[in-house]
Amino acid sequence: MAQTSLRAGQVTTPPQIQLVRKKYRRTLRDVLKANSGFLFIVPAIIIFLIFGLYTVIYSVVLSFFRWNGFGGFSILPPSCQYPACQFAGLENYQEFLYKNPTASAFFWQGLGNNLIMMVAVTVGTVVIALPLAVALNRAVRGQAFLRLVMMLPMVTAGIAIYYVWTFIYNSDGLLNAALKLAGLGVLQAQAGWLGDPSRALGALILVMIWGGVPMTVLLYLAGLQTISKDLYEAAALDGASALQKLRLIIWPLLRPVTVIVVILTINSTLQQSYEMVYLMTNGGPAGHTSVVGLQIFNYGFGDQRQLGIASAMAWLLFIGVFGLALLNLRVFRSKD
Amino acid sequence: MKISVASDTLRLKNLQRAIPGTVSYAALIVYGLLSVYPFLWMISSSLKSSSEVLSSQSLIPAQFRFDVIVSVWNELGFWKYFTNSMIVTAAVVLGVVVVYSLAGYGFARTSFWGRDFFFLCFLGLLLVPGVTVLIPLVQLLRALGLTGHGASQMSTYTGLVLPMINGAGPLAIFLFRNYFARMPQELHDAARVDGCTEWGIYWRIFLPLALPVIATIAIMNFIASWNTYVWPSIVINNDDWFTLPLKLKDLDLQTVIQWNVRMAGSLITTIPIIIAFLLLQRYYVRGVTSGALKG
Repeated sequence: MAQTSLRAGQVTTPPQIQLVRKKYRRTLRDVLKANSGFLFIVPAIIIFLIFGLYTVIYSVVLSFFRWNGFGGFSILPPSCQYPACQFAGLENYQEFLYKNPTASAFFWQGLGNNLIMMVAVTVGTVVIALPLAVALNRAVRGQAFLRLVMMLPMVTAGIAIYYVWTFIYNSDGLLNAALKLAGLGVLQAQAGWLGDPSRALGALILVMIWGGVPMTVLLYLAGLQTISKDLYEAAALDGASALQKLRLIIWPLLRPVTVIVVILTINSTLQQSYEMVYLMTNGGPAGHTSVVGLQIFNYGFGDQRQLGIASAMAWLLFIGVFGLALLNLRVFRSKD
Repeated sequence: MKISVASDTLRLKNLQRAIPGTVSYAALIVYGLLSVYPFLWMISSSLKSSSEVLSSQSLIPAQFRFDVIVSVWNELGFWKYFTNSMIVTAAVVLGVVVVYSLAGYGFARTSFWGRDFFFLCFLGLLLVPGVTVLIPLVQLLRALGLTGHGASQMSTYTGLVLPMINGAGPLAIFLFRNYFARMPQELHDAARVDGCTEWGIYWRIFLPLALPVIATIAIMNFIASWNTYVWPSIVINNDDWFTLPLKLKDLDLQTVIQWNVRMAGSLITTIPIIIAFLLLQRYYVRGVTSGALKG
């Protein structure tokens, strides 16, 4: 009895403390309740942690190791067993940047192709899409139909449409035949457009512009429809020509749209172009259409695997994309 | 007299207006033709014979032959790969819409500790090139037993689809969040007063109103996952589980390319996206423009 009461006495807490506890408990529940919105992002966070964050960390760490892909390397638990895997420090980066003459020449060629693609596709897309959007905006009759027709290339960034273009670019394909028909037979590419070292890159760029114009027209069209009619009328009263209207009204007011278009194009030319290159030319002829993404893919999944180098190259590409995106936003902000 | 002068100037004005109008219609029609011509060429080539496809540049075949399309569809078993593609695409679209509409709602309409930090994390992922994480993803899937020789079709597809969902995440979250954030606060408050839980507000009120953005995200991911080639080619290592693009690549491995066969395969591969696109394009146009411009 005594023991029980003693125990009971030990357990019983003074009323003040009980009050405090009760209060504390309630605030904890309040905290949980106030943060319950977190539950909405739990599924996304789980997927992000496993397939996003983990793979990003893995790839960063791997870029400092030399590994051929067979056993030996893991992050959880950390291990790197010689001889399949070896710590390399910055050697992976140095290798393709300047140390290895073949690899580095190839890398810079690929990066150059990426940059040419980026500039040419951006300029080409904007120059074609903006006038088309202006025209589409004026076209009262048949606007919906014309828009639909022009949007068609948007749906097919895939192997099927790459096959169609490869066929058109073929040595006995549609493009060569059309040139001959137009009396421009001299311009024909005898080995096919994708087999000609000086034209293959241009041919790929054309396909990218063809695929990128629809989305850009759509974005510009939406932007144009927000510009007030009064502005055009005021400009017309002042005797402005069509070109002046384009330069002084439309272009500045559509700057935010242009920024989006540029970011989308940078993204597609630097990051996503490798799949198209892989399926249409596989970097050929002789590396003339090689891009960094394709080289990363070949280091990672080709015949001679160097997964560390693949990761190092991938992170350099990331830094490039990140830098360009920041630069773009900064230019946009400072002028806006 | 006066009236005729007025009508003359009117006519002149109409003419001045009509010329640029004609020019713009001409430009639109020419570019419209350039847009559809490769598709028409694909259809026409798949209807030609093996010799005609190489010699004739006419859009209309000398003889309409449906046997190539039929044989590509039947003999090479496109139906099976069609189903495979459908399963993968549907899983990606459904996953993206469910997971990221929830997340978008959470970021736009609720507040919790670290909300903006988490949002930035997701946006940061947008800039990571997909090719960067291909290697770690494959290693991860191997470690989890989701790819390789022991893996079943179900687990291979799970391993295939989850990273694709993750890859679509940043943009989907961004669009959903913008859309939900622009909806009136009164809607939220009224539901609250009526005793609706946060989950109820999402499920009964906000989600049904988000149909345009759901359609946009659905069709974007439908197109992307239907067309994707490199990632499935790495993960799927059983011919029976191939998606359509993988099968299309394997379609003819002869030394001389049979372009009519390839074009028939391409046609069969593209038709489902074109149908989906025609059905949903109205929403798509609205969603893309509003979501992107106000972001």
